[in-house]
Amino acid sequence: MFTRKLLTTAVTLAWASGAAAQAVDNRELERLRAEFQQQMQQMQRAYEARLNELEGRLRAAEGRAPVASAAPEGVGVHAQDRLGEVSSGSAFNPRISVILDGVWYADNKRGKGAEIYEHIDGITHAHGDHDHTALERGFNLRETEIAFSATVSPYFDANLYLAVDSGGGVEVEEAYFDTRALPGGLKLRGGRFLSGIGYLNSQHPHTWDFVDQNLPYRTLLGEHGLRDTGLQLTWTPRTGSLYSLVGAELLQGRDHHFVSGAQALPDDVIGIGHGGMGAEKAGPRLLTTFVKLAPDLGDSHAVQLGVSYAKGRQLQEVHDHRAQNPLASVHGLQGDGWLWGGDLVYKFDAPGAYGQGDVTLAAEYLRQRKDLTVAYHQTNAGAIGAPRKFTQDGAYLQAVYGFAPHWQIGARYDITGMTNKVDRGTNVREWETSDRWTVALTRHLTEFSRLRLQASRAKLWEDGEKQGVNQIFLQYQHSLGSHGAHKF
Amino acid sequence: MRRFCILLCCLLLPLTARAHLEVAATTASMGMLARVVGGDAVRVTVLAPPDRDPHALQARPSMLRALRDAELVVAVGAELEVGWLPAAIAGAANPRILPGRPGYFEAAAQVPLLDAGQPADRARGDVHPMGNPHVNLDPARMAAIAQALAERLARLRPGEAAAFRANAAAFGRAVEARLPGWRARLAGAPGAVLYHRDGDYLLARLGVPVLGYLEPVPGVPPGAGHLERLVGELRGRRGVVLRQAYQPAQSADRLAALLGWSSHVVPMEPSSDARAEDYFRVIDAWVTALTSPSA
Repeated sequence: MFTRKLLTTAVTLAWASGAAAQAVDNRELERLRAEFQQQMQQMQRAYEARLNELEGRLRAAEGRAPVASAAPEGVGVHAQDRLGEVSSGSAFNPRISVILDGVWYADNKRGKGAEIYEHIDGITHAHGDHDHTALERGFNLRETEIAFSATVSPYFDANLYLAVDSGGGVEVEEAYFDTRALPGGLKLRGGRFLSGIGYLNSQHPHTWDFVDQNLPYRTLLGEHGLRDTGLQLTWTPRTGSLYSLVGAELLQGRDHHFVSGAQALPDDVIGIGHGGMGAEKAGPRLLTTFVKLAPDLGDSHAVQLGVSYAKGRQLQEVHDHRAQNPLASVHGLQGDGWLWGGDLVYKFDAPGAYGQGDVTLAAEYLRQRKDLTVAYHQTNAGAIGAPRKFTQDGAYLQAVYGFAPHWQIGARYDITGMTNKVDRGTNVREWETSDRWTVALTRHLTEFSRLRLQASRAKLWEDGEKQGVNQIFLQYQHSLGSHGAHKF
Repeated sequence: MRRFCILLCCLLLPLTARAHLEVAATTASMGMLARVVGGDAVRVTVLAPPDRDPHALQARPSMLRALRDAELVVAVGAELEVGWLPAAIAGAANPRILPGRPGYFEAAAQVPLLDAGQPADRARGDVHPMGNPHVNLDPARMAAIAQALAERLARLRPGEAAAFRANAAAFGRAVEARLPGWRARLAGAPGAVLYHRDGDYLLARLGVPVLGYLEPVPGVPPGAGHLERLVGELRGRRGVVLRQAYQPAQSADRLAALLGWSSHVVPMEPSSDARAEDYFRVIDAWVTALTSPSA
């Protein structure tokens, strides 16, 4: 840039001092000479700045911290405007972080407490899909999270979250791309990701304020929340001082509690019985929408309100209870399901040190409905077409308070199955309501390490029997690698 | 149809022509700089309240909203805001302000940093291997940053380039005019123990020694052993203990009591709507605290 300008000036000068000199008057020559000199000086300054910068980098590379006096002395130093950021994150591409998570666990059920949590009475009974990381009394290594993230190009960011369980099994928690350059506040996400519905759903376990998943999520969405493969479009409109986000997702809809693909009947009943299960519909079978609103309440307070809706186009369930009851007959249900929820989050940010005085309150309500009919029955032809309308809801309310620097105390009440029933057209079967109280004491040793002691007292219903389950966790979490930034 | 288009253009033209350049500044001093350099051409929103620790903030919806509409982000950088700014920028869905684009300005990228090139070893605490990010308390660096910011603003609003450069130069002259006075007041000042490495730039600029830090390593609060060590090292010397309002008082006051020094709360940031004068008052407050007599 400089050199080209300089060249033009020099050529002009040469030309001016040459044969055609008479044509140019002396004043013009003076002006050009002054310009030449000025640009020469500018160039010198620029080179000086470059040299200084190089020197600084050399010193840094040598590992010697530069003394303050070597920093720009005086005020007149010309600073060049540099794009980009100073970040150790960009030193490695992709950024990598690892979360280590382990617990010491005890309960009052001789270690069966965790299993009872998997069989809480409700409209979705565990179909033998036992959690592969069941807790043992004593020491447990929980899932280790490994996260990679990078900017792919000016147009895309990409993220990968792997969960490695204590047995070495690797699961892709999330693997998605985000667009960077869409205009108008639009953003498109594609791949496998945690759905944007609800408040806690899109949060990874290491950002939870409690060791374990809350009851409504666990019973209505599953241990990991709602996670699927597909596309998400979000829009952040310009709404003045109100923050708003509108999102919609098209998801494959496989193996969720209220949307699934086709489910196969057991081999030994194929060809016998009445009716049959429909063929699998092509994806996407799950559609979600959500809206989040947050008014501006100044520097200390923040509130966010959200509503979510999810609709599954195909749900099939095969009920085979012959293992527990040899006289039971296999039957299959099909139809569709949906879920709606509302969430409210309030945060108070106090000026205290290390989170002292901060308050977070979060509450969520979820309601799930499954509109099914009997599509297959092993013995009873008359049952085909009979309705089975399942409804279950749940809620949690949790509060976390930073009572001292680096210390937090949290309390949670969660409940599932206030409505917990199946309407069979001629009769209604109801299940009981399960609920729990939890207290957690968290010590943040640094930003990267924490210890948490959690105790909970639950009243859970399993197969119509009330179980009082008390659990104690002592948890550590460490985060290695690049420093993550957390969402609201 | 054509008439309608012309009408629409006429309606929109004044909006686009007279619109302010929306600036989202991460801290109050960055907001001050944007206001001083940008003058009437900019409208500044400060994201971090001046009385909070910018390390420890969380991304909040109001930040996302401000970033959604911003044409320029003015950040301190060097990972000072790493806990919240990347999340807030990602959530704002505004491609203009992504790092690397002209709409993202980082102060720390414009000037040489202290402590750069240290190993990224967290056994040494919450280190910033790219350098100490707290450049905002060095008036001379701030003057250099103002110049760079003027160039950036000129890039976004070429029509007002001359005004931006003049504003930055005026700020530089104001700093230059004040530096000798501050240095003169501090001649012979015994030095200070800081809570965190946030006053390093200012003390180095003004020629006052840093006698120690209450944090044994950055981001870790002091224990009894570290306090004892500090007392052992500093007994018999003169000095003051300085901390921010958001840093715990207990250890600072205890150290001051053990050494027979005075302990002071000094501001890190001016108010959110600060002008240059308010920023200079922050430096004045440090100078006053540094010159206060030890008991």
